[in-house]
Amino acid sequence: MAATRADFRAREIFTTLEYGPVPESYACALAWLDTQDRCLGHYVNGKWLKPVHRDSVPCQDPNTGENLATCLQAQTEDVAAAVEAARNSFLSWSKLPGSGRAQHLTRLAKMMQKHQRLLWTLESLATGRAIREVRDGDVALAQQLLQFHAVQAYTQEEALAGWEPVGVVGLILPSRFSFLEMMWRICPALAVGCTVVALVPLASPTPLLLAQLAGELGPFPGILNVISGPASLGPALASCPGVQKVAFCGAIEEGRALRRMLAGEGAELGLALGTESLLLLTDSADVDSAVEGVVDAAWSDRSPGGLRLLVQESVWDETMKRLQVRMGRLRSGHGLDGAVDMGLKGPGAHVLAQDYVREAQKQGAQVFQAGDMPSDSPFCPPTLVSGLPPASPCAQAEVPWPLVTASAFRTTKEALAMANGTPRGGSASVWSERLGPALELGYGLHVGTVWINAHGLRDPAVPTGGCKESGHSWHGGLDGLYEYLQPLGTPARARFICENLNYDTFGLAVPPALPAGPEIGPSPAPPYGLFVGGRFQAPGSRSSRPIRDSSGNLLSYVAEGGAKDVRDAVEAAHRAAPGWAGQSPGARAALLCALAAALERREPALASRLERQGVELQAAKAEVELSVRRLRACGAQARAQGHTLQVAGLRGPVLRLREPLGVLAIVCPDERPLLAFVSLLAPALAHGNTVVLVPSGTCPLFALEVCQDMATLFPAGLVNVVTGDRDHLTRCLALHQDIQALWYFGSAQGSQFVEWASAGNLKPVWVNRGCPRAWDQEAEGAGPELGLRAARTKALWLPMGD
Amino acid sequence: MAAHSQGTEFDLSWISKIQVNQPAVLRRAQQIQARRTVKKEWQAAWLLKAVTFIDLTTLSGDDTFSNIQRLCYKAKYPIREDLLKALNMHDKGITTAAVCVYPARVCDAVKALKAVGCNIPVASVATGFPAGQTHLKTRLEEIRLAVEDGASEIDVVINRSLVLTGQWEGSNFIKTSTGKETVNATFPVAIVMLRAIRDFFWKTGNKVGFKPAGGIRSAKDSLAWLSLIKEELGDEWLKPELFRIGASSLLTDIERQIYHHVTGRYAAYHDLPMS
Repeated sequence: MAATRADFRAREIFTTLEYGPVPESYACALAWLDTQDRCLGHYVNGKWLKPVHRDSVPCQDPNTGENLATCLQAQTEDVAAAVEAARNSFLSWSKLPGSGRAQHLTRLAKMMQKHQRLLWTLESLATGRAIREVRDGDVALAQQLLQFHAVQAYTQEEALAGWEPVGVVGLILPSRFSFLEMMWRICPALAVGCTVVALVPLASPTPLLLAQLAGELGPFPGILNVISGPASLGPALASCPGVQKVAFCGAIEEGRALRRMLAGEGAELGLALGTESLLLLTDSADVDSAVEGVVDAAWSDRSPGGLRLLVQESVWDETMKRLQVRMGRLRSGHGLDGAVDMGLKGPGAHVLAQDYVREAQKQGAQVFQAGDMPSDSPFCPPTLVSGLPPASPCAQAEVPWPLVTASAFRTTKEALAMANGTPRGGSASVWSERLGPALELGYGLHVGTVWINAHGLRDPAVPTGGCKESGHSWHGGLDGLYEYLQPLGTPARARFICENLNYDTFGLAVPPALPAGPEIGPSPAPPYGLFVGGRFQAPGSRSSRPIRDSSGNLLSYVAEGGAKDVRDAVEAAHRAAPGWAGQSPGARAALLCALAAALERREPALASRLERQGVELQAAKAEVELSVRRLRACGAQARAQGHTLQVAGLRGPVLRLREPLGVLAIVCPDERPLLAFVSLLAPALAHGNTVVLVPSGTCPLFALEVCQDMATLFPAGLVNVVTGDRDHLTRCLALHQDIQALWYFGSAQGSQFVEWASAGNLKPVWVNRGCPRAWDQEAEGAGPELGLRAARTKALWLPMGD
Repeated sequence: MAAHSQGTEFDLSWISKIQVNQPAVLRRAQQIQARRTVKKEWQAAWLLKAVTFIDLTTLSGDDTFSNIQRLCYKAKYPIREDLLKALNMHDKGITTAAVCVYPARVCDAVKALKAVGCNIPVASVATGFPAGQTHLKTRLEEIRLAVEDGASEIDVVINRSLVLTGQWEGSNFIKTSTGKETVNATFPVAIVMLRAIRDFFWKTGNKVGFKPAGGIRSAKDSLAWLSLIKEELGDEWLKPELFRIGASSLLTDIERQIYHHVTGRYAAYHDLPMS
């Protein structure tokens, strides 16, 4: 046999021992594109939709720029057609027993299995991501997701009795996303009986392929519809009649804009924003393993974004050295190469990275880049940024992929302060071989997911989400299901937008209140003042507003609270927060029971007050009794939160923790001044939040009366009650950046304003859209929905080993 | 083997400071096997390189001169000549790194190697292999005799009862295991050892060698081991002075893969000479 030219290379490779190309054939991806005549439209109601007269955009191989296909850009009517299809199929899909949906999802999982090569080559080809990651990671996880949620659908009737699917879900995905992000959201939505319209960016063929696979399964073609179009179609999708929920994942600023745009549109908005992650490396860590954690977190195609790295000062040098050596061994290249760590991650990712690097250098940071990469393609090498001054803009900004921004900390306390000193709260890992500090950090971090001595593990059974500006929607596990469920009998969400609501002036000015005659309220008169920091204080405005009973008699004056009073109340609540959150649920329940007992003692006074509001004596007594009962029950319910999960392939538990939100602002409804007040306050306190509360506008006296008991029973600042003009106070609360959540029960306009203003710090809001709520009914006044909204989930991964 | 390291002052605090997180190491072990592959002529070249790291081993109770002789011939001519020619590698003098036998067979091995005109070293397991549970005096005597017979490398079984009580010994080449245990060379264990070798090099400038042994049977395995060394320690460790693979049946599989690479066909059992 004659030696070929190629074999002469063997001689050379024998000496250098270099890696060679491991190309993966993508013939099947091209063949699939050929079946579409290299022209991708949309997939709606089980059919390809290729409308005429649409702009088109090329879908290119990001490495070579080679044109793979053209993609038709959707317009509003295409979106409407997709929503229509989803609405129609919702009627049958949601009525299907859980087992029927489970079977369908299982069939889809099998369908994916049969065509997995097509899936992974198409995804890698179009996005440039490393094929190994797509093949071994994404496709496998996508199948697990389908299987997991099929099981959830099976058990839905018993496990989730009292809940129903929300309806049509609009899913908006950003560019540079993996099709897995879509799977995380459509699986739970479909499992619980929702149908989906996904708006995916142009030139992303994989979601279309998935929709085709699902559509070709037969009887329910319209449950998954995929439209490709620009993000600017988002509001059109969200405002389509019938769309009950919008799930969005993408950049933080896009999410903020969407939040503002969708204020008053009616659909519930779930945001999952940002991609940055955090890694805390302590001096007791296995540094080499932690370095691998950094690779997983930032320098692989598994990671969604960049990494903030906090390293304990005593191991700083050692860590930097190991990181730099490790970086030198990373390989970037064509995604379809089987031995590549980092592909391109979609067009444009490297531009973001390079901009950040340039800025960081300008601001005085050191930048280290290494790794093996081809020179001819637009790659950004693995990059380590250190020495950024803490106050520089780059240190505050989100770190893009594939960058790591490292800074040093001295103590655990400082590490927590630095880690939590960012508006983002996605995921983090803690590396320490000492259990105590590791758990201290794990519990103390304000993020959605914490891995101890690991990074980036995911499982369908473990909820993934975030807090703060990373958005508060969840996918995976039980929390992922609740995203697409609502309590049985919830009326359909309709548009409640008030077109001429002026956000700049809503609630800005307080109409002056003048003396209105003698008070004829009962004696002893209710206390006067704002209940802030555990005592009654005069309002900053030094003025009062009259309160009248149902027949128009002046009952009393209450203090006219304003912006400064809200500020003081929030500060007082923050001071009380760590102490209250640190209490055990049992201790909190005991305190709620003590308040219940105090309320019981006040029953005659409260009942007679209710009578003056026009409630019959019998009903008034019943209402006080119900309030007492709610207080007692709530504490007990909050004890049974959180649980331990067991995950395939992981030794050790994953804890699903339920943590307090922080400072929760509640604007109580005008109706049911006592019952609604108690029904909202009780779950908020039971879950460890501290509260700033605006009581009923027509009759705030009940709340003030209860405050007398809270003053003696509760730690100062736990509950703060501010009376005054509701629109004005709502404005102050909604625009406050340091309130972690806001519940608003009032007018449609107020609801719209709250939704709009919450975009500031992206606090989760719960608004009633101007619709009254049946507070005396168990489901609406004390249902599991309140408990769900009163705390946030955190997943804490605890791998074990000897 | 490697030039004797100058050694360094024994400092137990180095060992007590080491942190190893087992689940994280297991994950790394999984990843490293999946993240690097070589194909085509890269694979062929890497496999030939792997051959030069092999300590071709027979450690059986029934070893005699005839099978030792066969082993030594295979060590000298590990890959069929025509296959090497096809790869243009026939003039590279590819042999295995050493042959490895029991002390009593060292004489046979030296004789057989001499007969085929091969100057690769004879390695011998000594010191109460495989348990190491014999007296220090007999252990030392065993080494002396093996060296006398012509062994130039000795694989020592350390006294593990001392290790387990924290009394460590130094070394200039470390081996994962004897190959006679139920669990032998595994990736997670190797990762920990390689990281220790690297740390020692960074601290002292001394390069300690590494030899996985036991259970490495397939060509694919050997490639994974090569890329593991390349990733964790770097190319400077990829030479016979610092890296060996203790194996007996691995060579056959490598030869089969080379056969397939050259001819495009899968070899029958009888197509390749036995060792």
